[in-house]
Amino acid sequence: MAANEIRLDAEARTEFGKGAARRIRRDHKIPAVLYGHGTDPVHLTLPGHETMLALKNPNAILTIVLEGGENLALAKDVQRDPIKPVIDHVDLVIVRRGEKVTVDVVVHVEGEAAPETNVIVENGTLSVEADAMSIPESLTVSVEGLEAGSQVLAKDVELPSGVSLAADEELLVVNVTQQISEEEMEAELAEAEAEAGIEHEESDEEAAEREAAEGEEGEGDGESEGSDDEGDSDKE
Amino acid sequence: MLIPRRVKHRKQHHPKRSGAAKGGTAVSFGDYGIQALEPAYVTNRQIESARIAMTRYIKRGGKVWINIYPDRPLTKKPAETRMGSGKGSPEWWVANVKPGRVMFELSGVSEEVAREALRLAMHKLPMKCRFVAREGGDF
Repeated sequence: MAANEIRLDAEARTEFGKGAARRIRRDHKIPAVLYGHGTDPVHLTLPGHETMLALKNPNAILTIVLEGGENLALAKDVQRDPIKPVIDHVDLVIVRRGEKVTVDVVVHVEGEAAPETNVIVENGTLSVEADAMSIPESLTVSVEGLEAGSQVLAKDVELPSGVSLAADEELLVVNVTQQISEEEMEAELAEAEAEAGIEHEESDEEAAEREAAEGEEGEGDGESEGSDDEGDSDKE
Repeated sequence: MLIPRRVKHRKQHHPKRSGAAKGGTAVSFGDYGIQALEPAYVTNRQIESARIAMTRYIKRGGKVWINIYPDRPLTKKPAETRMGSGKGSPEWWVANVKPGRVMFELSGVSEEVAREALRLAMHKLPMKCRFVAREGGDF
């Protein structure tokens, strides 16, 4: 279930646009907006580091302290810089205690499937409906001993009490497939390498083996040539 | 190798290399990925080479996703040719990759194996890259 509430001290924003937003980001703060439950949107500035730590859990319930008042909020959308590890903007939606919310929860896989199988997580998150104050941090799917061809659907995932599935029941979550055979893989890679014109450099071991093989062949050829010579001399 | 089956225009202008990736900046299909840190044209040979390198390392376990496609032709005039006489002939097919783009993804293997497989694949690519993981990872 969700960890303890996280308090963030926010400041109201009075100036808008990219210039103002960039000034806020330069001060290591994050521009944000708070809305929901029919209220007018409130533009905020959040502390950068604390917000970044709080949003490590995407479904964390945040207590936004603004001008003496407090609001419970859930991060609806987080815009991140594609390169730098910074948050550009956060959309917060107001929630009430006891309210049901629909959120995407991460799926974790545990256990070992049968040998010679690949476990592929087709949907890494599952949409569930839960009480705002008790959103599960993750859902666990066990693949212990599952054979190739087995599938775990959304309806098969064990949900904590008070949590119901919001996604399609037939949604494929985990797929267990048969591993490709070594010969097939080698053949496929060799074909791909030939098409791409990739050549392997000979390793030292391979070179030694090749030289040894050539040496043996050379000795064999030498003997046969010697016997031919003898034969020729006899003819002469 | 990846190559478009049919194109509207055989010879195109060079793709723009400015800016950062607008989408595809997070690991969405697998558990780990390679993220570009610089802009580059990635040819279909480089994509194939990187795929082969990581597939060889992970052997039969795991699954590989390629999130870029070489859909832009680049042309080249023959050597020792005077200028003029029109545009050269198509020589390469490239993907126009911008910083932030997650190009390859991998799942079904441990983080240790994924790191090494993707490190080998990064050496086949023409730009600086980094290893990223799902659920934030570096963030």
